[in-house]
Amino acid sequence: MSARSERRLGAALVVPAGAVLAIVALGPLLATAWLSLRHRVPVLGEDRFLGLGNYRALAADARFWGALANTAYFTALSVALELLLAVPLALALHHVGRGRGALRAAVLVPWILPTVVAAKLWALLLQPDLGLLARLWPGGAAAVLARPTLALHAAILVDVWKTTPFAALLLLAGLQSIPEDLARAARVDGASALRVFRSITLPLLRPAILLALLFRSLDAFRVFDVVFVLTEGGPGHTTEPLSLYAYKTLLRAGSFGLGAAISLVTFLCVVAIGLAWLSALGERRRPEASP
Amino acid sequence: MTPSLRALFLLALAAAFGAACRTREDTRPADRLILRYQPLGPDPAPFRALVAGFERETGVEVEVQALPSGADLAHQLLVTSLGAGGEDMDVFVLDVVWVAELARAGWLADLSDAFPPERVRDEFLAGPAAAVIQGDRTFAVPWYVDVGLLYYRTDLVPEPPRTFAALATAIRRAQAAAPGIAGYLWQGRQYEGLSCNFFEALWGYGGAALDGERLRLDTPAARVALGWLRELVADGLSPRSVVTATEEDARRAFQEGRAVFMRNWPYAWPLLQDPASPVRGKVGVAPLPGETGPAAGALGGWQLGISSRAPPARRAAAARLVAHLTSAAANAVLAIHYGRNPARRAAYEDPRVRAEAPFIAGLLPFVDRARPRPVTPYYMLAADALQGELSAAVSGLRSPAEALGRAQAQADAIAGVAR
Repeated sequence: MSARSERRLGAALVVPAGAVLAIVALGPLLATAWLSLRHRVPVLGEDRFLGLGNYRALAADARFWGALANTAYFTALSVALELLLAVPLALALHHVGRGRGALRAAVLVPWILPTVVAAKLWALLLQPDLGLLARLWPGGAAAVLARPTLALHAAILVDVWKTTPFAALLLLAGLQSIPEDLARAARVDGASALRVFRSITLPLLRPAILLALLFRSLDAFRVFDVVFVLTEGGPGHTTEPLSLYAYKTLLRAGSFGLGAAISLVTFLCVVAIGLAWLSALGERRRPEASP
Repeated sequence: MTPSLRALFLLALAAAFGAACRTREDTRPADRLILRYQPLGPDPAPFRALVAGFERETGVEVEVQALPSGADLAHQLLVTSLGAGGEDMDVFVLDVVWVAELARAGWLADLSDAFPPERVRDEFLAGPAAAVIQGDRTFAVPWYVDVGLLYYRTDLVPEPPRTFAALATAIRRAQAAAPGIAGYLWQGRQYEGLSCNFFEALWGYGGAALDGERLRLDTPAARVALGWLRELVADGLSPRSVVTATEEDARRAFQEGRAVFMRNWPYAWPLLQDPASPVRGKVGVAPLPGETGPAAGALGGWQLGISSRAPPARRAAAARLVAHLTSAAANAVLAIHYGRNPARRAAYEDPRVRAEAPFIAGLLPFVDRARPRPVTPYYMLAADALQGELSAAVSGLRSPAEALGRAQAQADAIAGVAR
């Protein structure tokens, strides 16, 4: 087979997958973009072209900026905490001797639980009258979800509890790909355990860390279920992330155009975050490739 | 058969089945109705018997399908389905605040021939009648109602307070006698329950929230009413946790004996009187307090409407089903077996209801005074903005005046763009 015909065969084989992607990913995206340029309220029978009116409305909307700030804060804090906790967890899982399999399975339990179930569990723990926290800390705990400053942190806590194991699992895979010989050689040269970690493990773990950051921040930025179960965005929109605002605008306030605009802004933010992490990943790869 | 052949066979079977479902849906005859409602209770038998009675009487087959029990989710599902043509349902339940919106959208069949407005006003309670009659046409028929009530501890409070000031005094006195007990529990979470609590306070201060079709939220009475709700939390008359509380949070804490007063719907009564309940026999109900005397409770509850998209023959059969399910006899079945308050005035005099559901029969004065939340097509569209601002005010993020100003601006934007 000549190279050209082989390329042609390759292209032909890719077409079905490309077509499926276009139908399930690109199509809805373009439809959302088009919808975001319209004023559409089906219940009122309203449907007309608006241009960038929805985006202008968002720019002047305090609730939108609040939701964006909540989402960014949620993403930054929860991902940072998850990574900080995941590194020691992954190291512990990597070095543990006996009962490794059982331990790994146990660590993964929070991540296996559906988010709604986990959030409901925490909602019960934080329940002001009968929850466990209220029993342990009477008076103080009663208001965790009622205090605007604390409520978002409660959601972050649930997210950290739930997804740290996932981040640890990604890092564990990275750890296992690091050859044992390097650490052994360093120890022979008299390096301390800390030194081995700082000079060998951490730099070689960097791609895995960046990958975990990429996955987790993309996921955290689209947070919906934790907040929906814990607070529904209250008190006073202080815990409302972009995706919840988009959902409420679309399906409760019935304004499809504005809801589509919020969804699209969320999408663009996620794309920007993804590209930023991917380029960071690429920069690390290149120097490693050339010895 | 080889595995691939078997798979092909299964696929063909599934396709045939799917096609059969489609054709059945599209050309559903007039004697097959689909009823969508929220399950009424754990035992479906009494309701099934009610529907079976209709099927026997008319020869019309009724397929009963459940809606989600959360009102917001049910609304979302109805709007999506009706907006897409609504062929998969003929009769469905409607919350009091949906009728105006869906009638304006043209998705509700006009029922004025079978249920003339005068007759509806005559036979049903005033609140639900006002919610289902738009202009001079009837768009739905009241099914069962709900009303906001004040629950109080008869062992801690000699007689229920009639005013806001008396409520505060009673709480302070009860707290002096039983230290550590919470005062007044209500629903302050950011959701529709908070709006009900707000409108009750507003009516208690003699306010109203409707000017024609326009929602009027930024009024002096509204500021005072919202200020009162905020003060309840700020002054410690209500625990801080009320700003995250739903009906069940309030009911559980009250049932554990942790509070003197609670605002809730009638469903809490049988649970509070359960043999295992710590407050059994120590609870009374009264009208909610107002500024100078008892105020109206918010009207909740459900109506039955018919899809305007159903062909005329099916609409006629659907109207007969609605008449059957909203009859006085059906009202009594729902009251006795499911604890639902009848929407028909006469049902409260029914000897069976009085004998078997005395609490419900005794609620007539309460439901008679119950008021619907503002009846306007824009209510549901603005509800989300209103909930957020009310929540911001009761949790102390913004002053009531500022919160109501913002809510007003958002409600006007929604209605203004539409006009």
